Amino acid sequence: MADRIADIWGSRTPHPAGSAWPVRVDRFLEQGVPEGEVEWTRSACVLCSNGCGMDIGVHAGRIVGVRGRAGDHVNRGRLGPKGLFGWQANNSADRLTEPLIRRGGELRPASWDAAMELVAERSKQVLDDRGPLGMGFYNSGQLFLEDYYTLALVVRGGLGTPHLDGNTRLCTATADFALKETFGTDGAPGSLEDFDLCDTIFAIGHNIPETHTVLWMRILDRLEGPNRPRLVIVDPRRTEAARHADVHLPIRNGTNLALLNGIQHELISNNWIDREFVAAHTIDFAKLARTVSAYPPERVAEICDVPADAIREAARVIGTGERLVSTCLQGVYQSHQATASACQVNNISLLRGMIGKPGCTVFQMNGQPTAQNTRETGADGDLTAMRNWQNPEHVEELARSWNVDSIRIPTWAPPTHVMQMFRYAEEGSISFLWIIGTNPAVSLPELHRIRSILEQERLFVVVSDPFLTETARLADVVLPTAVWGEKTGTYTNHDRTVHLSEQAVEPPGNARSDMDILLDYARRMGLTDKDGAPLVNWSSPERCFDAFKAVTRGRPCDYSGMSYEKLRAAEGIPWPCTEDHPDGVKRLYADHRFNTETSFCEDYGHDLLTGAAFEQKDRAEMQPGGRAIFKAADFVPPHESPDDDHPLLLTTGRTAYHWHTRTKTGRARQLQAAAPEVWVELSAEDAERLQIAEGDLVRVASPRGAVEGRARIAGGRKGLVFVPFHYGYWDEQDGARPNGNAHAANELTITEWDPVSKQPLFKIAAVHVEKIGDADGASAPAPTTTASEPLADGVPATAGGEGVSETMERDG
Amino acid sequence: MKLDKAIDDVRDAETDLAKELRAVGERHAVEHDLYHLGHTLAKQCAAHLEQLQPFAERYGASTPGKRVAESPRLVETLRRKSAGLLGRSEMSGMLLLRDLRNLYLTAQEAEIAWVILGQCAQAVRDQELLDVTNLCHHEAEMRGKWLRTRIKESSPQILATG
Repeated sequence: MADRIADIWGSRTPHPAGSAWPVRVDRFLEQGVPEGEVEWTRSACVLCSNGCGMDIGVHAGRIVGVRGRAGDHVNRGRLGPKGLFGWQANNSADRLTEPLIRRGGELRPASWDAAMELVAERSKQVLDDRGPLGMGFYNSGQLFLEDYYTLALVVRGGLGTPHLDGNTRLCTATADFALKETFGTDGAPGSLEDFDLCDTIFAIGHNIPETHTVLWMRILDRLEGPNRPRLVIVDPRRTEAARHADVHLPIRNGTNLALLNGIQHELISNNWIDREFVAAHTIDFAKLARTVSAYPPERVAEICDVPADAIREAARVIGTGERLVSTCLQGVYQSHQATASACQVNNISLLRGMIGKPGCTVFQMNGQPTAQNTRETGADGDLTAMRNWQNPEHVEELARSWNVDSIRIPTWAPPTHVMQMFRYAEEGSISFLWIIGTNPAVSLPELHRIRSILEQERLFVVVSDPFLTETARLADVVLPTAVWGEKTGTYTNHDRTVHLSEQAVEPPGNARSDMDILLDYARRMGLTDKDGAPLVNWSSPERCFDAFKAVTRGRPCDYSGMSYEKLRAAEGIPWPCTEDHPDGVKRLYADHRFNTETSFCEDYGHDLLTGAAFEQKDRAEMQPGGRAIFKAADFVPPHESPDDDHPLLLTTGRTAYHWHTRTKTGRARQLQAAAPEVWVELSAEDAERLQIAEGDLVRVASPRGAVEGRARIAGGRKGLVFVPFHYGYWDEQDGARPNGNAHAANELTITEWDPVSKQPLFKIAAVHVEKIGDADGASAPAPTTTASEPLADGVPATAGGEGVSETMERDG
Repeated sequence: MKLDKAIDDVRDAETDLAKELRAVGERHAVEHDLYHLGHTLAKQCAAHLEQLQPFAERYGASTPGKRVAESPRLVETLRRKSAGLLGRSEMSGMLLLRDLRNLYLTAQEAEIAWVILGQCAQAVRDQELLDVTNLCHHEAEMRGKWLRTRIKESSPQILATG
């Protein structure tokens, strides 16, 4: 039995390039449960975007454990700590079981009928008073495809407001936009199996070992096997990946674009590029070459504060590999010049001609387990099935499918992003806001502002959630929801693999699935199509899936060849899945024809500096004709830089043991104990200068707020302060806001977003750090097993995840 | 030859635009994208003037390069404070739309000034000047496109609700 808190990645099963990743089945069962009596239900993990195939173990009507599915190409049986232990939150005693309505200033239990009637009545009132633009909907990256699609239809086809976004905006909006800019549509080009085949891995702003623990197991098994791939890691912190890297570039946060331009400068000047591929399958190479010519390694070294030779070496590794897999995540997406930088990661694969081939791809990684579906269904800033909101024919297609007039679908501007929605709520033009399965009172930037918006009397706030989150506590109506394991539905991971997750147990009390809540709402609102029939004409997840299949036909995310039945027989199916490709498609663009055609593309593209949206005529002029587009941009300094008052640079981020605002992981004993409270991570140099030692109490202040916590002295770059963003206030007295000392990282962050993807900046804020108390023998409540590994000796090692079995193939 | 005149026009237009970008950004500081991009683009105006400087000398443009200075600290603070106060009122929307329209027109002034200079550069076969005008004109077009996008997004919320 393994302790998978102490050993996050478990036992190794090394293998050489090109051979199948060996099976290792991880299993965790609650103590004392009779093994023989456990019934297993098929599902997939929902605690990161890897979406590992797993079974849910049920005994006496309760979830009692999980095990990985050996046949699934995503994980080959493995599970990470969050997957192994996180399910315990389902059984938490403080699940919401009844709707709540605010009466006399307090949230009090109410019937579903009373709560939904109130929601519908207020909706109708706002529609009468202000029209659809008075209504806003903000959802999640953790619902099921069926929930999202129902939501997209209700809001876009029914109510007709453009104000619908997902918290994918904080997570993978930039992945979505970068894919659209370069390849014409969303959708990961490659397969996770490309990691088994590659000889070079380039990861920028992606702490793979902690954000995607099972993917890191996959990479570790290559790193410890024969013909190990070379590894280039860009991260200001000394992550576990950096410890294994051939080249680690701990750049100054906010300078990704300069570094990526510098790497491309080297690729081009050393002729490490596939000129034939570039000529045949791309456009705008000349513009790119001109832009990056201004970024020789010496200049980049100065901007990024890493040695010029290290930049050259990174470029050499990337430029001389034969099978390159690149990947990026929040270190790019939530940082300065996000979309511009993410596009450069695509460019590198294009320059090398390494895409659409085994072992060669680029991953614009997702964070959340079902973020891909928010994007595909159009429950965020996209139109359903990757349609282009500026293309009248696409809108007409959608209108036909929904049987509504096309003018009912709001397409005069891009769907409203969440930061803009909160701005409308702040000025008062949105007066109804429904928040579904997400926690903006902890996860959006500059929290005092967010709380003050949600607290306004004139704003009616509905929250659907399984728990009484910080946000729910500020709501007027709270609706208790069923979660994973308590409902049936599908979701798609970051290599386009679709899994079916079956209902294993009943939801607690009167909790309902989000889809059922939305169906009830549509009924009460009397939403109809243009013939007067109910707009939403399904009542089960399977019928909803069938409707979605139909609306995706002919689009890149084509689900038309899939069914629940087929998903029950297979171990995940990657879209597109059609009559011609009944088992799905492992790699897109194998023929090097991209989705950039004006009539087909999902977006006409943007100016990367300003976010100006190109129009149909601009796109037609470019004549991309199925070729990928090199997007280029110059580095400009971040808007907030350190000064005398705030001399350090904050980055926020996550740890291996927690998910988002700890709504689930904070309720799983082993995970909570591994990282129980906020900490403030400092470099050795800064700690010494500020006379701060491991475990001292410190205060971090930005121009917007302050946070207190214990100091962890770790291996990050000088000038960098890291604060994990998981910690809010739900497990404290007030529950919604700081009660005395604040410790939510987003008290500090700045209200700013990327001009193209509109993703907020969480990776750059100027801060001041001071010591406010001695350690008195305590150490920081930070893991010792991750990028937070302490430099000091004597810090108790993180442990406490006993009882996990790992069964290797060779053990039978 | 009156190329100096065309250069002066560009300089005046870019200087006016920089000033207005900062003023609008600060007046509507609660529109965080306007605030940040306003400042970024004002810096771009300054960079344009710098790129034009050698040609100003070459063609004997009359005025020395005007400094496209940052807003004085106190004024900026005042503007930001009042933006914060006004930001909770829907009335700020009408003011925003008016400012965005005017900003768009100012941006178009600059754009056409670059077109004129570019035409002249071609006529006098000054390849260096033509390269600079092409690049700057492209950026000038993007500013207009950005404002168009922003106005298209905002106007329904301001005028078609309530």
